[in-house]
Amino acid sequence: MASSQTPRLLALGFAGLGVATALAGCSAATADGGSDVGNGGGEVDTSAEYADGTYTADGSYNAPSGEESITVEITLVDDVVTDVVVTPHATEGNQAQFQGQFASGIAAEVKGKDIDTLNVSRVGGSSLTSGGFNQALEAIKADALA
Amino acid sequence: MIVDPLPVAWRFEAIGTHWRIDTREPLPPDVARAVSERVERFDRDWSRFRADSLVSRIAAQPGRHVLPADAVALLGFYRELYDATSGRVSPLVGRTLEALGYDAAYRLRAAADIPTVPSWDDAVAWDGEALETVRPVLLDVGAAGKGYLVDLVSDVLAAAGIREHIVDASGDLRTRDVPMRIALEHPLDPRKAVGVADLRDGAFCASASNRRAWGDGLHHVLDAATGLPTRDVIATWVIAPTALVADGIATALFLDPDPQLVARHGAAFARMWGDGRVDASDHFPGEIFE
Repeated sequence: MASSQTPRLLALGFAGLGVATALAGCSAATADGGSDVGNGGGEVDTSAEYADGTYTADGSYNAPSGEESITVEITLVDDVVTDVVVTPHATEGNQAQFQGQFASGIAAEVKGKDIDTLNVSRVGGSSLTSGGFNQALEAIKADALA
Repeated sequence: MIVDPLPVAWRFEAIGTHWRIDTREPLPPDVARAVSERVERFDRDWSRFRADSLVSRIAAQPGRHVLPADAVALLGFYRELYDATSGRVSPLVGRTLEALGYDAAYRLRAAADIPTVPSWDDAVAWDGEALETVRPVLLDVGAAGKGYLVDLVSDVLAAAGIREHIVDASGDLRTRDVPMRIALEHPLDPRKAVGVADLRDGAFCASASNRRAWGDGLHHVLDAATGLPTRDVIATWVIAPTALVADGIATALFLDPDPQLVARHGAAFARMWGDGRVDASDHFPGEIFE
């Protein structure tokens, strides 16, 4: 992935993610993860302008085998995500293998419409890593606000 | 943006997942208690993760077991799923799931020897009241049980006079008299939707094979014919009159069911394949994005 800007690195624990979520405001409606259908309860403001560049943040989620973490790196150009790289940090053997599959699948599969842009009452369907992915994304959005 | 159609949401954890009940007014305490008791009773009967459950007793002791009244609809529909998938959806996968690592301890490591799934007619006889077993069988109602419990909770609310409500148990949802537009979340990218579904009275269930995966090709949707997790279809979204039916069909769609199963129950579906393609059944009440 290419970036014309210096990558800004965020090292965030849960406390940091809490702050980032607050900064991202009502977008936090879809950031709590874990549930497949749910996450209602807020309006999403899509008017924010983000600075171009490559952003990195960590997120974590609860797998049956324990807490797992991923790093999400996103390239933004004109408020559009042009690249996504998910790097797993799983330690459990099986979980590490699965995360590897997830990480390779996600960049190739980014398509459809942004849920932010839809008028819906619920989101249906999910994966275990959604929560961690969303946490990381919220942190990135907060950091990238121009 | 996500807009809640009703103003009050009660959230709780039960049977290992997140629940959410939306209503116009806060639930009266006695109704909330009735909901909790109904969920607890279902768990005590049907959980294979509890040593004190009916399912655990059946697993320990072959013989004649009188089942609770809610077994009639649940096992009846399970038999339909079993027949429509040539035995590939079965409530008798418990022992095999356990051996593959999806056990009470969430061991998540496959054992060296994976037992085959017994055939329905060899292993059990169900007469609508009692289940006869000739050997220890571990039932697993994971393919439709959660959806069914959503229906049962919705029935508790309706019986208490709460006409408009949404019962949502993380992927299995029932709405009564509440118009909803539900985004079909991309199974590999939770910020994206592959389509939307519209629903006012009825159920919506989503299933993704990557949702509870724990190893290379090992996940919780099991093909009872091969004893191995399924491939090909990676996510399904089903609209049906009840969550029992929607949940069961959402599972069966991973296993190439007889199309009559969907038609007979007035269900509609969308599904995503491993290569990213999405297709939908006739009369799908919504839109799939190109």
